[in-house]
Amino acid sequence: MKLPSGRLVHSRVVDDPGAALAAALDRELTGYAVLEPQETLLLAADARGVLTLTDGVPVLTYHTETDRGGPPALADLAVPGPYRLELVALPADVLADLHDTPALRVPPGMPAQRLAGDPDLAARTRNNAPDSRVRESPASGSDSGEPAQQSAVEAFLENEGKIEAIREQAREEARERAAEWGLDEVCE
Amino acid sequence: MVEAFAVASGKGGTGKTTSTLALGMALAEEYDVTVIDADTGMANLLFHAGLSSVDTTLHDVLVEGGAPVEAAVYDRFGMSVVPCGTSLAGFEAAEPERLRDVVATLAVDTDVILLDSPATLGSKSAVLPIVLADRVVVVLQPTIPALSDGLKVQEYAHSYGTETAGTIFNKVTDPDDVQSVAEKSRRYFDGPTLATVPDSDAARKARRAGEPLLAHAPAAAAAEAYRGAARDLDVRSGAADDVADRFRSAVIPEQR
Repeated sequence: MKLPSGRLVHSRVVDDPGAALAAALDRELTGYAVLEPQETLLLAADARGVLTLTDGVPVLTYHTETDRGGPPALADLAVPGPYRLELVALPADVLADLHDTPALRVPPGMPAQRLAGDPDLAARTRNNAPDSRVRESPASGSDSGEPAQQSAVEAFLENEGKIEAIREQAREEARERAAEWGLDEVCE
Repeated sequence: MVEAFAVASGKGGTGKTTSTLALGMALAEEYDVTVIDADTGMANLLFHAGLSSVDTTLHDVLVEGGAPVEAAVYDRFGMSVVPCGTSLAGFEAAEPERLRDVVATLAVDTDVILLDSPATLGSKSAVLPIVLADRVVVVLQPTIPALSDGLKVQEYAHSYGTETAGTIFNKVTDPDDVQSVAEKSRRYFDGPTLATVPDSDAARKARRAGEPLLAHAPAAAAAEAYRGAARDLDVRSGAADDVADRFRSAVIPEQR
């Protein structure tokens, strides 16, 4: 997915994708959000997730490392934070052309549901979406509704490398914090 | 005999408190159970157990020269329940390390201790329940963030010498689909899948009524799932004195 450069309106480190989605929604951003996991242990250095947005509501998703779009890209992006978040504003007409890419589309509430596991944020996002999009299904038709959620979860659990990286990162964090908190001696 | 379990998940909203009380009530059929709200920063067990107006809570015990532990223990629903207060001042005054003595004292006279643990791993007081427990029950939801956070909780627990007793999949909307998720997650989580608990209005209504799920809607499918979890949890006997000694000698510095 080739994105125009646009105007950077927000750049910061966020703890989780939910914070990124909420930031975009609160600003009613029209443009795109780039999420770059800070933990390079988990992903290649250039791994980024991109979400385009209209009035803060996600439209397309794409993952640079896996080259996948739509719901599968959300599964690729689901790694522990923190993330570097950039919000970029674009004119609506520039986005309109991009948005004619059915394979990359996601239903409005799906990113909040899958990346953040946050039903309230998903509901808030759907409330901000135009009526025409509220019942939108992903383009493939094979990845809608609850079974899709499960299949994304299963895909996540099948990615042993990613799971091992999450565990390794947690072990390292637990060790570092044990030292910080005076718990060294319980640490195995 | 006594075994202390931390009921934990890295993420909020998974239904830890509902699970703690439901598991506690189900275990109370067979064991003498003590439930402690160890989430001293975001306590909510008191609301679930009809204890929101009590005078003495864990906060009052966790301060220097504070109330004796016994003053914060309430017999409710066939269990001994130790609620925690919700005021910020109470949290700030509390010394988390004192939780160790609380658990040690209560361990003398109970079979099972359940520690309702904070939904974060970000501070020493938040990880203490996991450090103090013998084993952890990880509460999961079949979503990527909840599984990812559950994995982190388990790694922290293992790093601090606490084993996994099992997992509970909570708020399950499709029981058929969760089977395959549970199956795949078994590779990564130690211990059995103790229960897959259906998402239900009964749990929300129980919370609003200030009663544990098993008291409010004992016939609900979710309640039955927790009774199954209690049956599948192999409570290990340990001499109470040993446990008390272990807690007392836990290598946590006296001063913050």
